[in-house]
Amino acid sequence: MNLKNFREKIGEGAYLNIIRTDKFKTNLISIYFIRPLSREEATLNALLPFVLRRGTNKYGTSLKIQRRLEEMYGANLSIGINKKGEKQVIRFTIEAVEENYVGANELLHQVIEMFNELINNPLLENEAFLKKYVEQEKENLRKKIKGRINDKRSYAVDRCIEEMCKNEDFGIHKYGYIEDLDQINEKSLYKHYKKLIETSHIEISAVGLIDENNFLTSIKQDFILKRGNIVDLKREEIGKELENKKIVNEKMEVSQGKLTLGYRINIPYENPLYNAFIVGNQILGGGPNSKLFLNVREKESLAYYVYAQTYKFKSIMLLAAGVEFQNYEKAVNIMKKQVEEVKAGKFNDEDIKKAKNSISNSIISLMDSNFSLSEFYLSQVLTKENRNIDEMLKQIKNVNKNEIVEAFQSLSLDTIYFLSNK
Amino acid sequence: MKKDVIKNERLKEEIHTYELENGLKIFYMPKKGYSKKYVIYATNYGSNDNKFKPIGEDSQIEVPAGIAHFLEHKMFEEPDGNVFNEFSKLGSYVNAYTNYNQTAYLFSCTENFYESLELLVKFVQNPYFTDENVKKEKGIIEQEISMYDDAPEWKVYSNVLSSMYKEHPVRIDIAGTVESIREIDKEVLYKCYKTFYSPTNMILFIVGDIDFEKSLRIITKHQKDSKESVNKIERSRVIEPNGIKESLVEDSLSVSTPLFNIGIKDSDVGYDGDKLIHKEICTNILLEMLFSSGSELYQKLYEEGLINNSFGAQYVGNLEYGYSIIGGESEKPKVVLEKILEYIKEISEKKLSVEDFNRIKKKFIGYHLMDLNSIEYIATNFVNYHFKNSSLLRYLEIIEKIDFSDVESRFEKYLNENNYALSIIYPK
Repeated sequence: MNLKNFREKIGEGAYLNIIRTDKFKTNLISIYFIRPLSREEATLNALLPFVLRRGTNKYGTSLKIQRRLEEMYGANLSIGINKKGEKQVIRFTIEAVEENYVGANELLHQVIEMFNELINNPLLENEAFLKKYVEQEKENLRKKIKGRINDKRSYAVDRCIEEMCKNEDFGIHKYGYIEDLDQINEKSLYKHYKKLIETSHIEISAVGLIDENNFLTSIKQDFILKRGNIVDLKREEIGKELENKKIVNEKMEVSQGKLTLGYRINIPYENPLYNAFIVGNQILGGGPNSKLFLNVREKESLAYYVYAQTYKFKSIMLLAAGVEFQNYEKAVNIMKKQVEEVKAGKFNDEDIKKAKNSISNSIISLMDSNFSLSEFYLSQVLTKENRNIDEMLKQIKNVNKNEIVEAFQSLSLDTIYFLSNK
Repeated sequence: MKKDVIKNERLKEEIHTYELENGLKIFYMPKKGYSKKYVIYATNYGSNDNKFKPIGEDSQIEVPAGIAHFLEHKMFEEPDGNVFNEFSKLGSYVNAYTNYNQTAYLFSCTENFYESLELLVKFVQNPYFTDENVKKEKGIIEQEISMYDDAPEWKVYSNVLSSMYKEHPVRIDIAGTVESIREIDKEVLYKCYKTFYSPTNMILFIVGDIDFEKSLRIITKHQKDSKESVNKIERSRVIEPNGIKESLVEDSLSVSTPLFNIGIKDSDVGYDGDKLIHKEICTNILLEMLFSSGSELYQKLYEEGLINNSFGAQYVGNLEYGYSIIGGESEKPKVVLEKILEYIKEISEKKLSVEDFNRIKKKFIGYHLMDLNSIEYIATNFVNYHFKNSSLLRYLEIIEKIDFSDVESRFEKYLNENNYALSIIYPK
C-alpha cells in the first residue's frame, strides 16, 4: 500500500517529489507555489497564474499555448488557487499521455519545457506584463469573485467561514477581493510575480511511470529556479476566546434556505486526539448513515442535503444543510442536538465501525487518482506530518469511543449563518 | 450462457462478458493495482420512458413525470430499514442516478466487495413501495427539485431542451415537478418496475481487481425467479417533428453574470450502434475545432470580453434525438449567438482546416487515454455505450476511422439549418 515518494531538494525552499507507478495511462506533473494567505497578497496571487497563461515568449497567445498542448496529444493544463489553512497555494498542473501508448518519446520533456515557458518565461513588454492581458484577466477574476453567489450551497459555507474568522487570515477568500483589483496594474503585478517566483516555497510533484534520475536531471536542466529569501509559513492559531455566539442572516433571491453552523474544535491536528475527532465528525455528519442525515433528512424530511465537514489546518467544523425558510429553527435545534448526542457518547460500536470504514475507504481510494496522490503528498509536507498512507490508516483504526467523546468536549459553537429569501 | 473475453492490446485492457439465462448481461474489466472496485447495475429506463405498455396489459399508459427518478429513490427502502445503512456497515459508498435514458445503482469500495455485490444484486431486485413511504419521499424529492430550481447551470440547460423539443419527453425535467410527483402512487411504481427492471433490460458492470468467477457465483445465486419474462418492452416511439419550438427562452435567478445555452437540434436521428458513436465523436471533433479554446472564434470572443473560460460545446446523441449545447457566461448572450452564426457562415465559405482536424483528433485520443484512468469513468461510460449498442473499448478503433471529409460533411449537414435555440438566465 506504499507508493514510495522520492523526495529531493532542488533549491532553497524547493523540492521535487516523484511518485512512481504504472497504474495510470498518463503522467501528471504539478508545480505548487505556497505563500501565506494575506489580505495584501490574496488578490494578486489569484490573478497572477491566469495572466501567465495568456502568453509566453515562445507561445505569445493563449491560442498558441492551447494548440501546442493539443499537439502533445491533448496534454491538459490546469490552474488551481486554493486555501490550505492560512496558506494560499497556486498550482500549475500538466497531465499528458504516457509516451508508450502513442509512440511519442519526447512528451515528458515537452511538458517540462512548457512549464518553464509558462512560469519562467512570461510574455513581457517594458518590464511588465501586457496591459491587455492583465486588464482582461482582472475582469475575469472580478466576475469569478462576483460569481461566488451562483453556487448557493458553497456560498453559504464560505460566508460562514468569513463571518467566523472576520479577524483571522482564514476568513480571507482564496480569490481575493474586487476592491483590490482596481489597484492592480501590469507593473505592480509583474513586481509581485518576481517576488512570488523568488520567495515562495515550491513543491514539484510527478506521478506516473517516471524514471526518477532522468526526470531529476531534466528538471534541474530545463526548469529555471530563482531563489531569494524564502517566505515564512506560519502555523495557524486554532484556539479562540469566544465572547458571543454570532448569528448572521443574509438575504438573497433563493428558493431554498442554506444553513451553516460553524464550530471551533479547539484541538490542533498535531494532537493525536484530532484523529478521534475525525471519526466523531463522520458519525455526526459524514454520509447517509450519519446522525445528521438520519435525523434531519430521513426522519423529518427537512433537507435533501445535510452534512458535517472539518477544516484541519484551522480546527473548524461546519454543519451545512439546505432547508425551507420556515424550518430554520427546527433544523438548527435538531442539528445542535446531534452534536450534543455525540458529545454525550450516544452512539455505539456499530456507528464507530461504519465511520472508520468510510474514512479508510476514502483514504485508500485516493491512491487510484494521480491528482489525489499529488495533493496528498503536498498536504503531508504542509502539515509536516510526513505520514504515509499505512500510518494514517492505523491511526484511524486505533481510535476508541472514549477518545471520540473526549475530542468532542472542547467543541464550541461560534457562528450560525443562514441564507434566506428577501 | 455465453462467456467471452474482448481484448484491446493497444489499451492493455480487456472485458469479460457473461450472459445469464434470464437475460442479464454481466461485464467485468480487470484493473490490476487499483484499490477501489466499482459496480453499476443499470436498467435501460429513464425519464424519457413515460409512455409504454406495462407487462401483462393490453394498452399503453402514460405515467407522471419524474417517476423513474422517484422509483430510484424508493429502491433503497426495504421492509427492515434502509439499504444505505447496510452498505455503510460494509464501508462501501452507494449511490444511484436517473437520467433521460437509464437508471443506475452503483457502489464503490475498497473492502468487503463480495458482500456489497450481493447486497446490490438483492436490493435492486427487491422493490418495496408502501403508501406511507411513497408519501414521505415526496417531501424529500420536493426539496431536491427546489435545489435544482436554484441551480442556474441546471436551469439554463433544462430550459434549452424544453425550447428545442415539441413532443419528445426529453423536454421534461428528469425529476418531474412538485405537481407531477404528487400523482405518483405505489401501484404505478410497481407497474414501471415490473416492466423495465426485467433482467433482459438490465446490465451489471464490474471494474477493479477482483475474482470474476466468485462474483458470478454470487450474482447467479441471487437472481429472483420471475414468472413473467419480458423480451421486448413496448415503448412508445415519439416522432419528433423537425424545427424548434421556441427559439428564445429567458429566465432569471440569483446569478452575477448571465448564463446561456445554445441548443442545436440534430435531425439525423433514428439509429444507434457504432454508427451513432461515429457521429457523436465526429460532431464533437467538429465542435472542438469550432468552439474550443484553441479556436479563432473562442479567442476573438474571449478578447472582446464576450465569453470567459467557462465557454464550451458538447454533442450528445441517442437513438431518437441528438443535440449540441454551446454554453457559457456572458453579459451579452444574444451577441454571442450572432457572432457564432456569422462565424459558421464564414467557415462555410472559407472551409475547415485539415491541420485543426488532425490536431483535435490527436487531442481526443489523448483525452480518451486519460479518461481510462478513472474506474468511475469506465463504468459510467461502458454502461452508456452499451445502451447505445456499442462498446467503450471500440472508441479508439472508431475514432481512428474518422477522416477529415467525415467532419466536413457533418458540418455542411448539421450546422446549416435553422435548428438552434437560445436559453438565457439573467441575474434577478
